[in-house]
Amino acid sequence: MTLKILHMYPNMLDLYGDSGNMELLRYRLRKRGHDAEVTAYTMGDGAKTDFEAYDLIYLGGGADFEQQLLADDLLSCRGRIVNAYKSGVFMLMICGGYQLMGQYYKDSNGKKIPGLGLFDYYTVASTNKRERCIGNIVIETELDGEKYKVIGFENHGGMTDNVKTPFGRVLFGNGNRFGSQTEGYTEKNVVATYLHGPLLSKNPKLADHILSRCLSRRQGSEVKLPPLNDKLEEQCRKVMFRRLLEKK
Amino acid sequence: MFIINFFTILIGKILSGLLHLLGKNAGNLPGLVLCTMRKNALKAFKIDCPIIAVTGTNGKTSVTNFIAELFRQTGANIITNPEGNNLDTGITSLLLNHCTMTGKVRADYLILETDESHVPVVYSKLKLETLVVLNFFRDQLDRNGEVETLILKVNGFCKTFGGNLILNGDDPNVARLGLANPKNKNVKYFSVDKYRYATDTLYEAGEGRFCPQCGTALVYDYYQYSHIGRFACPKCGYGKITPYVKLTDIDLARPSFRAEGEEYVTAGSTIYYMYNLSAVYAAAKLYGIDKKTVHKVFESFEVNNGRMERFEYRGSELTLNLAKNPVGANMTVRMINECEQEKEMLFVLNDNLADGYDVSWIWDINFSVFNNVTRVVTSGRRAYDIAVRIKCSGYDEDRIVVKPDLDEAVKELFSTTGRKFAVANYTAVQPTRAALNRFIKGEGAAK
Repeated sequence: MTLKILHMYPNMLDLYGDSGNMELLRYRLRKRGHDAEVTAYTMGDGAKTDFEAYDLIYLGGGADFEQQLLADDLLSCRGRIVNAYKSGVFMLMICGGYQLMGQYYKDSNGKKIPGLGLFDYYTVASTNKRERCIGNIVIETELDGEKYKVIGFENHGGMTDNVKTPFGRVLFGNGNRFGSQTEGYTEKNVVATYLHGPLLSKNPKLADHILSRCLSRRQGSEVKLPPLNDKLEEQCRKVMFRRLLEKK
Repeated sequence: MFIINFFTILIGKILSGLLHLLGKNAGNLPGLVLCTMRKNALKAFKIDCPIIAVTGTNGKTSVTNFIAELFRQTGANIITNPEGNNLDTGITSLLLNHCTMTGKVRADYLILETDESHVPVVYSKLKLETLVVLNFFRDQLDRNGEVETLILKVNGFCKTFGGNLILNGDDPNVARLGLANPKNKNVKYFSVDKYRYATDTLYEAGEGRFCPQCGTALVYDYYQYSHIGRFACPKCGYGKITPYVKLTDIDLARPSFRAEGEEYVTAGSTIYYMYNLSAVYAAAKLYGIDKKTVHKVFESFEVNNGRMERFEYRGSELTLNLAKNPVGANMTVRMINECEQEKEMLFVLNDNLADGYDVSWIWDINFSVFNNVTRVVTSGRRAYDIAVRIKCSGYDEDRIVVKPDLDEAVKELFSTTGRKFAVANYTAVQPTRAALNRFIKGEGAAK
């Protein structure tokens, strides 16, 4: 199968190698004889885009300046993005993308950018620009009832509150706010998180979880993905877990 | 004030003397102590000679060394920081080592590599004559913050700066500094004419796609590399500059370029090297350095500090290059690809404080273009991260060998013969040089 992916604002929300997530999804699909067709959505494409036709909608992280530039464009697509989400299209969002899907984002200058309001959470950045959650982060999440450690790098000034169903429990790092117990937001077809790295690079099981969700929905029956040789990824995780979780 | 300055220098001198007695390289420490003790420590120095500062994301060390070499060749007495040490603390330490007990610094010129974020810190206290700004790329986002934050810091300084401002006219992030102080008549742009491998579309991750004046998307005639190229704003005209220096007829094969009617042969052969020389040429022109000296330095001078540094082991040639951010790394990958023959690569990736703890930037490196790379060895504190990155770009995982220990990695790399390239990020480059030298000397002596 060829999954249809909508990569929103790739030229604006592309900090911290987040576009690597697209490369990773495609890589893991191709290894199994599937493929991905990634469509780049840029400002002004709203009218011609059929959001519901995609299997996955992706938003990465961006700088404050870019987030302000695109806010209006994003809002103009609100109704149709909501419909896509409700129809079960998978929503994968990182950092800025995560914030923009909530109620609002108030930046460090006190400027309020309205979110799409897909979810109840909202984000407020500290007025002190230096106050940011920066560093390696490890969280524990559940993928189909199985516990899985997700590792990445967080770098955000925004503090997100009113998160009803967080993506994971923080084992190392900050999460949704300074010293928080929780990180990100999740639903059956939603993963929203502050984790860069990019997210899927060191968490292959999460990548496969998202892929099999999308493939299964498309096929109408469960698709099981054969395992790949993830030895390098596993070693990478081991080294970082040892460094971050065992030194305490 | 005199008394405070006197004691500042005295304490600094004693500290640095003590360290020397202990057999330690004074390095950064005396400056660190002084700057912590007294915020204005730099004001204690009396400097009469012109100061030239070089800043920007990539190429600072090379350009500083080149400008210093030019002045050296003219017989001038210069003080410079050739090894980096480009924060206020490092510059304080440098001046401490070169001043009298009254804080007087004797030299004809001070040529100082200066970290972007420290330009306002240092030159609010020392009188700057010329500021050279090379480029602004994304670099260590977790440490520096967004590129925009950094540009605004330097821009803030430029608002009240009336000295010579030598700017890269082909980088929209740099050229905008020329607008910071409309009263400054000493703004000069350097530029490089379209070269053979320039592209119509953006090839690697770039910054500054929007006009800093009016927010309109910039339009490019061509891209040289990353976001460097001939750009202009279709709405307000930003970007239409008259260059003070423009290199033309870029020939990377020879390698050479032309400027002001003369051909210059160069030692390096990459487009970013040409941009560095363009900045150096502008400084040489500004200070009236004779063309004969410029020819000589461009033809023969090499920085050799892990920047395109050559090594050889039993007939196998290796080129080591520093790459501390996506643009530097992409340029290095391009250079590796331009070498047609089969080759192997060593990539050393660290995540120490000076590197930034975040290694996600390696995902902005375009490895899918690998040409004839037969094997990759990875090393450093994040050896597995870079291995995963290269694998997922589609490179055969069986051809990747991970050796976190550098000595083992070098040994592994030289277990075969043939052309080699090594890429190392900031804190990895000196240990990599050391490991290469250890191996080459050790093995050479044993046989």
